[in-house]
Amino acid sequence: MKEVTPNYPDAYIPYGTWGGSWFPAWHTSPLAEVDIARFAAESMAYVLGKRGIPISKLDYLISGSTIPWLYKFWGSPYLSHSFGHRLPGFHLEQACATGLQMIMKASAHIQGGSHTVVGALGFDKTSNSPAGVFPNQGTYRRTEVISDIWDNFGYDPASGQQGFNQATGETSMIACAGRAARKYKLDFSEVAEVSFLRYQQYFDAKDKGLLDKILFPLEILDVRGQPMGIVDGDYGIRRYTSVDQFKGERQLDTCVAAGGQTHASDGMFTLLITNKEKAQELSPNPEISIQLIASAEYRTGAGFMPDSVSFSVKGLLERTGLTMDDMVAVYDHNPFAVNDVIFSKLLDYDWHKMNDTGCPLVYGHPQGPTLLRVTVEALEKAVSVGGGYVLVFGCAAGDVGISAIFKVNDSKGGN
Amino acid sequence: MKAMRQTTLETVGLGSVIDMFRNGASPANTSELVDKVFGPANDRGSLVISGGNGIVGSGKAMQLGARLIDYDVPIVTIDLPDAPDGLGQHYPGLKGSFGPEKAGKIMANIVKLNYDGKSLPDKLGEFKPRFLLEAIPEILNIKLSHYELMRKSFPGIEMRSVTSGFPNSVLGVGVLHPSFPHQINKVWEVVEEKPSDITKLLWSIGLMPITVGDYWSFILDVLFCGITLTATRYHHATNMPFWKIDKFIRRLVGPNPVRAHDAIGPGASFLTWSCLHHLTETYGEVFSPTPELMRRKESGESWYSSNRPVIDWKMSDDEEFKNWILGPLYQMTSLMLHEDRAHLSHMNAIGELCAQFTNGILAMIRGTGADDVISRVEAYHKLHPEAAGSCWYPEVFENMDNHEWQQLYVNAEHDEGVGVITISRESLNWDVIDELNRAMDWLKAEGIDKVIVTGDFHMSTQMVGADTSEFYPALDNADEGIRVSKAWSETARRLYDDFEVSVGFIAGKRCLGGMLELLMHCHYLVSIDGAQVGLPEVTLPVIPGMEGCHWAFRKANPDQWQKVAEMLLDGKFIRANNATGWLIDFAGPLDDALKKAWAIVKGDDHGIEKKTVATDALDIPRDVPGLSDKPAMEPARKAIMDCIQASCGVPLSQALEIQAKHSGGFMTTKLCQKGEIGSSAKKIMNI
Repeated sequence: MKEVTPNYPDAYIPYGTWGGSWFPAWHTSPLAEVDIARFAAESMAYVLGKRGIPISKLDYLISGSTIPWLYKFWGSPYLSHSFGHRLPGFHLEQACATGLQMIMKASAHIQGGSHTVVGALGFDKTSNSPAGVFPNQGTYRRTEVISDIWDNFGYDPASGQQGFNQATGETSMIACAGRAARKYKLDFSEVAEVSFLRYQQYFDAKDKGLLDKILFPLEILDVRGQPMGIVDGDYGIRRYTSVDQFKGERQLDTCVAAGGQTHASDGMFTLLITNKEKAQELSPNPEISIQLIASAEYRTGAGFMPDSVSFSVKGLLERTGLTMDDMVAVYDHNPFAVNDVIFSKLLDYDWHKMNDTGCPLVYGHPQGPTLLRVTVEALEKAVSVGGGYVLVFGCAAGDVGISAIFKVNDSKGGN
Repeated sequence: MKAMRQTTLETVGLGSVIDMFRNGASPANTSELVDKVFGPANDRGSLVISGGNGIVGSGKAMQLGARLIDYDVPIVTIDLPDAPDGLGQHYPGLKGSFGPEKAGKIMANIVKLNYDGKSLPDKLGEFKPRFLLEAIPEILNIKLSHYELMRKSFPGIEMRSVTSGFPNSVLGVGVLHPSFPHQINKVWEVVEEKPSDITKLLWSIGLMPITVGDYWSFILDVLFCGITLTATRYHHATNMPFWKIDKFIRRLVGPNPVRAHDAIGPGASFLTWSCLHHLTETYGEVFSPTPELMRRKESGESWYSSNRPVIDWKMSDDEEFKNWILGPLYQMTSLMLHEDRAHLSHMNAIGELCAQFTNGILAMIRGTGADDVISRVEAYHKLHPEAAGSCWYPEVFENMDNHEWQQLYVNAEHDEGVGVITISRESLNWDVIDELNRAMDWLKAEGIDKVIVTGDFHMSTQMVGADTSEFYPALDNADEGIRVSKAWSETARRLYDDFEVSVGFIAGKRCLGGMLELLMHCHYLVSIDGAQVGLPEVTLPVIPGMEGCHWAFRKANPDQWQKVAEMLLDGKFIRANNATGWLIDFAGPLDDALKKAWAIVKGDDHGIEKKTVATDALDIPRDVPGLSDKPAMEPARKAIMDCIQASCGVPLSQALEIQAKHSGGFMTTKLCQKGEIGSSAKKIMNI
């Protein structure tokens, strides 16, 4: 393995201390009814408890989400209060890039020495998401009512100012995908094949129980304290059986059909970042070390979000001196199958080699925790092959691409 | 006089129970004791409660004020001027208990004075303070200077502290440590060299003084603070939220220790920390407070979130949970046993009476067995090695076969050929049944065949019936219900079959359900006249399973059957003097009742005809006119009437088996499962 100096050489992710909820599609589970912040906080304590880690080991909490929640003003301190251990910390959000941003910021805190064990807690609830009422002197209506999920998915105010027509849907996320597909002259058949493979990868991993290693069934209580149901699956996923099913779907925009785009879902995910000594203490497999090597962000042209990740990754590889051949696991947050095909073209990388255990295209898209889960699935993949470099990336609202490389080292040679 | 083990009354200087019967009188006279403690009526002094606005001080002002009102003892509370009023908030409860007129009178007898904490108000002297109950914060130097101030101002004043932590040897004054909720709970842990008039006075006004050793923190606080500590340790180790740990502790031991802290108020965490802090300094790490407690003793913040929980937790490792909870509890108990902190019955009862333990700590340990208890503590030490270094005395569990351990709830004494069996537990459970059998065996072995069965005149101020938690396993298993009913009935029958003369004696304010069924098996039933009796099973609903459905009919005349049927089918309580003739043989004032019971067992002239129990089948009318109109109760009434018909309709020799089948079978019905027992079982056990 090539040696690359990590950006945060003192920061480590303790293997096997992570976990999260399944990501049920919106309105398919009791998560639609809960206070998602408290759910996330309580679940974090639960997950860490199941991992044998007292929450009291943490001394800082970085939380991340994108959809407003009750008491959001209080941010991370409210969340740690909710699991009973009062921690300092802050809340951040950057749409679908939130998960990787949390890892970067947590690593920086460790490197700076300000804290020893930092929790990263990402969560979001797309179901029953709130609507905000904003005074806006600059618009005809003077007041804007924004439903955080659907209005923002449908309207990028940044691309809107570039001359796209909102009324015809040109400012939406899906329009970005269609526009990028046209730019790179994608073939819908290839996009359908990517989609089909992604579903196969997900269900193969699920059927083998690989996801059970990181996702926890959680019993949800209603306000009376009575059981409301158990969330034990990424509900709402259609089990496609042939590529022709994808090919037969109506294209909503160029190369974008139902099976080739993600869906809104709810959930949480958490992991820890700490120093080397603590990572070995906390991890059930102290022989495995995991470090963030470097990260990159790139903003592409207005309305071309899917290609942003490719440029982000290119920059990252150039900076680190690593190549795609150095990667033992490549995982991305791909709201559209189009993303993967464009990445494959621009990086000259076979899309068959990506996302071995699934991806958000299939299991859904609660923005805050998404890249945490993607990262952990990638790290688990790397551990399963004995370690190596791991590339994780994803696009985010505002035509942004974010990427990161992790190094997994297994001193015992791997599983 | 010979006894299985020491009578608990002796620990407070009040002799034995058999002496009460022999003397035909209570061992303490309230008027005389009031005179001794507060001075004669023409020079009556006052009870001063410092910290009178606090949770303890105000609660005790209510409790003692209500009980001393008839003796013209003024209650004077003193507190800091900015202390929020703690007395006024008790008034609604006082009014509910005593009615507006007496509540007003009690409140009118309470004088509130403010002081600055350094000098006493001039007016205080006018009330001739004779007895100070100190209930100020648990800060030693403040307490000591307070005593000094009182001594200087009122030489000779008797002082007691309500401290939950500081021993008498540190405070220099005696201890009367009360239990929450202070306006209601009758238990006081007493530390004094020998039983004083104050202690006897507390007993004579119906409270429960319990003598304990002079050690850091008293038994209640070792148990209550200790189990709270175990909850915080389990949380610390597993992240499980306190609300859920409470539920598991409730199922395992009985209390919700964390919730109790929130119920008591912000000061509770400080008190718990204070006790544990001093215990840690003296005894070691098994008592060491966790960071969660340290935080709350400073902030006073609640333990439960103000928001309802969102995700549930299941118990993934029940054994580890038991190691964390029971391990330290057993270890702490080994310390108390090693130090011989109290009569074992007292040590056992305190957990039940004051800390919501389902079974007393010693009964739990006895039921578990020494080997398993020791293994549990050792397993806990693997989880918390620091606790293994000190304060662990496994040898104290070696002698669990002796009477002190075996008779925690039931004692037997005998003298002059008469035995007295006393029950100190207010509700009947398997422990009591087993101990009753051992007590009867012992008396028989001692050649005693005349017996009085009663409460212990100390920790049992009433007999409320069966401990319904014993029925939980029967809710989905009729065989278990039948087993309970048969075994308990067979125990009760021994009072009728095994003794030449047996007298049930109701000394407390009520005798209900299973306890009444037990005592009605005696050849005679004597009661104090104010006691209430009844079989409220129909209201739960459950079918009386200790022969209540046929025994009273068999003892009564046919023209009295209507009253017996009403008692069973209405579930109402009846004053003992209104049940005389058909259920109770004699009801009168305490001294008269004691004399009557003694006369019966001694074979003296007592004028009461012994009732025979009909052994043939009886034809009890199914129609019972005059029952209250309660349609919701009809299905349970029908089930009870079916049992009455079936168990009375056969000879006595078959009745026990038949009523057990009815009782056990009924517990598996939806009616019972949706009733009080089923609901509480679901709430406590199904978590």
